[in-house]
Amino acid sequence: MANSSKPTSLTLRAYNVGFGDCFLLSFHYKQGRDRIILIDFGNKHAPDGYKKSLMVDIAKDIKNVCDTDSDGRLDAVVATHRHQDHISGFTTNEKKNGSGDIIASCKPRVVVQPWTEHPKAKPGDETAPGLTFSGKAFAQALDHMNLFAETALAEATRRKGFPMMGATEIVNVADNNTKNKSAVDNLYNMTKSHYYVYYNSKSGLEKALPGVGIRVLGPPTIKQSEGKVKAERDEDKDQFWALQSGAGRFCAQQNSLFRRAHKYREIPPHARWFVNHLRLIRSQELLGLVHVMDGYMNNTSIILLFTVGKTKLLFPGDAQIENWSYALGQPGVTELLKDVSLYKVGHHGSTNATPRKALWDKFKNKGPAKKLKTVISTMPDVYPAQKTAKKGTEVPRIKLVNALKANSEFHSTNNLKSPELCEKLEITF
Amino acid sequence: MASPTLPQTRKLTIIAQDPSIKVRSKRGQAQKILKAEVEIPNELFAPGPTGYRVQVFDYDASTDTLYKPFEHNLRDEPQSGRLAPDPIRDASDAQLLSDPRLHALNAYAIVMSTLARFEFALGRRISWGFYSHQIRVAPHAFADANAFYSERDQALLFGYFPAPDGKMVFSCLSHDVVAHETTHALVDGLREHFTDPSSPEQAAFHEGFADVVALLSVFSLTNVVDALLDLNSQGSNRIASSKLGAASLRDSMLLGLAEQMGTEMTGVRGHALRRSVNLKPSPDYIKQKAFLAPHRRGEIFVAAMMQAFIEVWVQRLKGMGLLTEKYLDRQRVVEEGAGAANLLLTMSIRALDYTPPVHLEFCDFLSAMLTADRELRPDRESKYGYRDILLKNFKAYGMMPATKNKEPEEGVWKQLRRTLVYNQTHFESMQRDPDEVFRFIWENREALELYQDAYSHVISVRPCLRVAPDGFTLRETVVEFIQTLELKASQLKALKISVPKGMPDKQDVRLYGGNTLIFDEYGRLKYNIHNRLDNATRQSRRVKFLWEYGFFDPSEAGVRRFSSMHRQRALNFVSRRSEEW
Repeated sequence: MANSSKPTSLTLRAYNVGFGDCFLLSFHYKQGRDRIILIDFGNKHAPDGYKKSLMVDIAKDIKNVCDTDSDGRLDAVVATHRHQDHISGFTTNEKKNGSGDIIASCKPRVVVQPWTEHPKAKPGDETAPGLTFSGKAFAQALDHMNLFAETALAEATRRKGFPMMGATEIVNVADNNTKNKSAVDNLYNMTKSHYYVYYNSKSGLEKALPGVGIRVLGPPTIKQSEGKVKAERDEDKDQFWALQSGAGRFCAQQNSLFRRAHKYREIPPHARWFVNHLRLIRSQELLGLVHVMDGYMNNTSIILLFTVGKTKLLFPGDAQIENWSYALGQPGVTELLKDVSLYKVGHHGSTNATPRKALWDKFKNKGPAKKLKTVISTMPDVYPAQKTAKKGTEVPRIKLVNALKANSEFHSTNNLKSPELCEKLEITF
Repeated sequence: MASPTLPQTRKLTIIAQDPSIKVRSKRGQAQKILKAEVEIPNELFAPGPTGYRVQVFDYDASTDTLYKPFEHNLRDEPQSGRLAPDPIRDASDAQLLSDPRLHALNAYAIVMSTLARFEFALGRRISWGFYSHQIRVAPHAFADANAFYSERDQALLFGYFPAPDGKMVFSCLSHDVVAHETTHALVDGLREHFTDPSSPEQAAFHEGFADVVALLSVFSLTNVVDALLDLNSQGSNRIASSKLGAASLRDSMLLGLAEQMGTEMTGVRGHALRRSVNLKPSPDYIKQKAFLAPHRRGEIFVAAMMQAFIEVWVQRLKGMGLLTEKYLDRQRVVEEGAGAANLLLTMSIRALDYTPPVHLEFCDFLSAMLTADRELRPDRESKYGYRDILLKNFKAYGMMPATKNKEPEEGVWKQLRRTLVYNQTHFESMQRDPDEVFRFIWENREALELYQDAYSHVISVRPCLRVAPDGFTLRETVVEFIQTLELKASQLKALKISVPKGMPDKQDVRLYGGNTLIFDEYGRLKYNIHNRLDNATRQSRRVKFLWEYGFFDPSEAGVRRFSSMHRQRALNFVSRRSEEW
């Protein structure tokens, strides 16, 4: 029976993928089947104590929920951005029994991704509908970032003299930024209905979720974020990543810049001090670069606000301040977000994904009464305080978690223990 | 050790700007990379090259390769009395691009020539900003579109990367990039507190000043000016005077150079010159939020300086009555252009000694430049009114002098007129001994308007001998003196300093103040140039900026700040630290 009017309640499943995101939203209606959407499915580091088959187990659980509550249908998949920790679960395999194959078998009706993932936003394509030239150039820059991530990963893995801490962090961040072709292809092929969204665009979820108000608050397009200013700066940025990926590719392919030049076989004593310094500099520079790139990718993240009656659910993916600042600068948006009821903590609780003054301070429901619900998917051991090269950038940020615990009903996937796959939050509208 | 039979200076050939600027030596011949000669202090440098101030190590951290340097046969020089061959002069373009030893030599020569320019302008030896006599230079440090000075590593590091067309781009072959990074290192040696977190203008100054020195160094080479003039006159020996107005020269020289510079290098330097030249004079930029980021704010400074350069050039041509003729001798025009660049370069560098040691803003630098020049050239009308041109152009971009002093000249620091105690100190010691100078300062603390409860420290005492173009010499002693005060945010109010919104009472705040004292040749104090520790207006502005941009976070302590600055410049980064946790 077709459901009508608005949903009566929601079951939010926050899966413990480790360091990553996977949220399944089941909207329950008075009549008819549930409407189910999956927001992200990926991880970079699996949680301790779980089986190796964790992602497949989660995919099976998602399928089981769909089979039980929704006639086997997954109404929509939202892939907030292209980072591994948000899409790796969509990876398929040759045997067709990978976690991505299982999700695809749920035949999602629509896949929603940020505008930067538009398949025609490719190098050299001038005809992609709805995309400005600078928009395409930016999408091209994202591809360059993927390439750069691959080469940074290779360099950190093979170079001598990189400090272990730095090398590990480079590998972590760079690896998260490499392109996962299998997952990307699967997201493209699992349905014919794709929406590539941006600030204030249609979400593509309207049909899937009757009675639910959905607002896309990010990412902004280049045109939106730059206004009418011709984006010379964007050209600079795009070129920057093209040059970086070119430099990285060169190193990956060549062993030496000047093949015929005379070289030392061993570092002579008089040069050792400086060579050691330079190796350290290189590792730190590379780390800085991969973090900048990571931020760019995060800022392509979709920000979604679901509204049912007076209940507002905010899912910002990994959006960082640069992405947020556009929406928060638009008329009425701060007001709109004041009374959020549930906040999915941005970017696994990192230092710059929950704008402190412009967003958090404005939440009316926060406070010791804990009317605000917050949910975070994170894993503290991946970027712990003592290991990150830059102080104050541990994930989740301890200061933020303390504020969340003190001022909201706080839920963290990190509190789950094997074999629990997820925590279920029930929200009545 | 250099033989007395050898000259004091050595001429070395370098790539004039970068390998993308090519010229034909004769009609019909293929274009070749434009080269130029620079004059540097002569020394029998060791392989590297390694000299008394520069040590080149050609280590590439991306490929883990250390290249072997030239084995210059310099030991024969003292016997023969002749200088060794000049490898870059004799190299083909293909060799220039493919031999790392030539790259090392190019970088060495530009670093040394930039150092020599500073030492000439300031009339004394200049130390690096770290405890070593030699700066390390890595011409192929890593595969990265970046180049930077690192104080911590005592080094200048130059990256390389393939251009979109596949050709390799070497930042060590770009004259402006090498001069820019060397300038950062030299300014750091002269004013160590200019790299401290302060106002957006102090960081902008470091970047803008390095740009100005780099660009004027390039324009001071007659070969470069000659090549760029070719855009207008196509090799003719005469140039129509109608093409030598300020607007035409701006288009041909500044925009011309911006277009000619290797476009791939924008990954390293951004479009600094193009953006600055395109900034039409307006007093509004300085107030706009978009120009608050240091890398953008520096563009305003560069714009004013480069507009002044063109105007000085035109003024020199006019002053010689040359523009009344329909056609001008090309060589004369070229020499006047290079001369104008040289003059402004020297004026700019000389100004550093007349800046306060902390919290520099553009207004301070303008007053410093006007005062330093006036000390050497007291006659305002002589030499075509350079100071008026500078003042006019800075004002046109909304940068007013720091002093409202109009006498004897607008914008010049006011001379100290108060009675001071000299009889407790000795003239000889006052020229070199920080303790003796501190005694003088202490005896005169009220007259010098010091904040008495702060930690106070003389950080340098530098005697110098400056030479004006007309041979006039000026002896001065420059003293840098700083004051530091540690307090809690709640204590700021007692100094009438505003506490930024959201700053907790217990927040530790460190305030700096500082004086630059200029003594004349008789040991009498001429100028007391200071940013007072208890200047509530400036300190409030500074504390607010630092709080909003997150500089009170201990993690923001600068590690390779120039690398970060250049990256931010390439990516047009805007900090939003106040929103972070």
